[in-house]
Amino acid sequence: MAIGLKVMKRPGTQVSYLRATLKGMALTFSHLWRPKVTMQYPEEKSSKDWTLSPRWRGTHRMLTDEQGRAKCVACGLCPQICPANCIKLVPGEDEHGNRYPLIYEIDEFRCVFCGYCQEVCPEEAIHVGVHYENAEYSRDRFVYDLERLCAQTHPVSTLWDPSDPKGE
Amino acid sequence: MSKRTIAVELATPGLDPQGRPARIPLEAGVGALERYGEPDAGEHMLINIGPQHPATHGVLRLVVELDGETVVRVIPHVGYLHSGFEKLGEYRHYNQIIPLTDRTDYLSPMANNVGFALAAEQLMGIEITPRCTVLRVIACEMSRIISHMVWLGTTSIDLGAFTPFLWAFQERERIYNLQEMWTGARLTTSVTRVGGMMADVTDDFVAGLRQFVDTYPKTLHEIDRVLTRNAVWVGRTQGVGVMTAQEAVNYSLSGPMLRASGVPYDMRRDKPYLAYDSYEFDVPVGEHGDVYDRYLVRLEECHQSNRILRQALERLPDGPLNIGDPRLILPPKSRAMSDMEAMIYHFKQVMEGVKAPVGEAYVGIENPKGELGTYLVSDGTAKPVRWRIRPPSFINLAALPKMAEGHLLSDLIAINASVDIVMGEVDR
Repeated sequence: MAIGLKVMKRPGTQVSYLRATLKGMALTFSHLWRPKVTMQYPEEKSSKDWTLSPRWRGTHRMLTDEQGRAKCVACGLCPQICPANCIKLVPGEDEHGNRYPLIYEIDEFRCVFCGYCQEVCPEEAIHVGVHYENAEYSRDRFVYDLERLCAQTHPVSTLWDPSDPKGE
Repeated sequence: MSKRTIAVELATPGLDPQGRPARIPLEAGVGALERYGEPDAGEHMLINIGPQHPATHGVLRLVVELDGETVVRVIPHVGYLHSGFEKLGEYRHYNQIIPLTDRTDYLSPMANNVGFALAAEQLMGIEITPRCTVLRVIACEMSRIISHMVWLGTTSIDLGAFTPFLWAFQERERIYNLQEMWTGARLTTSVTRVGGMMADVTDDFVAGLRQFVDTYPKTLHEIDRVLTRNAVWVGRTQGVGVMTAQEAVNYSLSGPMLRASGVPYDMRRDKPYLAYDSYEFDVPVGEHGDVYDRYLVRLEECHQSNRILRQALERLPDGPLNIGDPRLILPPKSRAMSDMEAMIYHFKQVMEGVKAPVGEAYVGIENPKGELGTYLVSDGTAKPVRWRIRPPSFINLAALPKMAEGHLLSDLIAINASVDIVMGEVDR
């Protein structure tokens, strides 16, 4: 059988308190010469070991077309799939019969950033973005309306995007 | 075995009108009343540890009855983090439940995703692809490593060793970086879907995981050097909180807690899922069932997980990630936006969800903390009628009163840490 059993034997000898302390100290001191793993966060936002993944699922962003209008066609898939019920969508129709969102609001407090809205969006309109610093001074600022979602400028997640075929 | 006496009256402990500790008949154990008898009047002291206490690893409240410094009995009070996940799941499609599973055992989110997806797939009779199987094994073993690293770090802090905590958390951060590379989130991964995965791994991820697998054992050896033969660590853990094999089975323990007591039961070995029986690894088993053995078992499991990860990376097959059935898996985005048929499937699946046939399914997987069971009942719609989690740490926690009895108060902290609870899962 490939899966074996391994009985964990106790070590027969014990290290004395003094020796354990000295050994531990020596090992700890040797770590002083290792590369630093911490980052001075607000000043440094990335290091050579870590940058925010392009697949990051963060603050939402609505993409716009050439005329600056939201790409959303108010199909209603994102409020349907949202496990946290944080998307409010009221569809409207213009004189040519094109649907567009009259109201499109995302409550970033309720949102769990699962990214399902982007996964299901058939127009590549709503996206989760590569952005995480979304602190505000008042609670009502966390309900992002359509204007605010369109005005976001951060890059969007490459998950479920044809530009990242493996993430589709 | 059949002589099970359970104290029926549930009560929150307190003082009686004379100011003495009231009897607390909350223990559902074997022969609780015979063992304790009536408490000595006025001699015992009740103290309350938690729910806001760093050594209870979450919002666990322990009411401890002390005789001097000796623990007479412990009553864990749970429920402070109750979120009603199982009920919420009844109002969600199968794929919508996956973000909920992240948040049950939030120290190993990917393994929980896998557990739920396997149960839903068993319910629907889906065979997943070979690439998906291997990726799920990678997800499970990465979770095992980070969960054990958190356990090791917090337990060593509880027992006064600060340094291993920092080393363990460095390793955990590296896995989190990999999870972020794969799923776009460090903790709330939601990595599985019914019938596949959310996304395929990138080449960077594979290279990063390879590098992790090569360098990780070094940290384990360092932790081993600092702790395993350290007289302070040995003195605090050996002979503390002993569970014999029989007791461990009777308390329905699972995972490292059970194996430390000498019962060689591992779901990966005994009820293989995800083709675990084709991997080569050892199941570590302890001999004494005390805190020290649980430490040894968990440390060795990290080594074994590393071995499994190495084998999984070697065999990672090419080919499709998701099953080909368009009724179950969303079509690729580029097709859904150009092909009418794919778009219809896309809309139909999102609006109606993935329907499961009438029936029920139970899948147990070997989570880092023990056997995570997922039980699903379907009435033929896209939402489960009942979703039940068998939370390993909740059931392991039930053995805490038994283990802590007769030990010192400071040993109670060690024993509580050794159970490896995570309250998101205990309270659900």
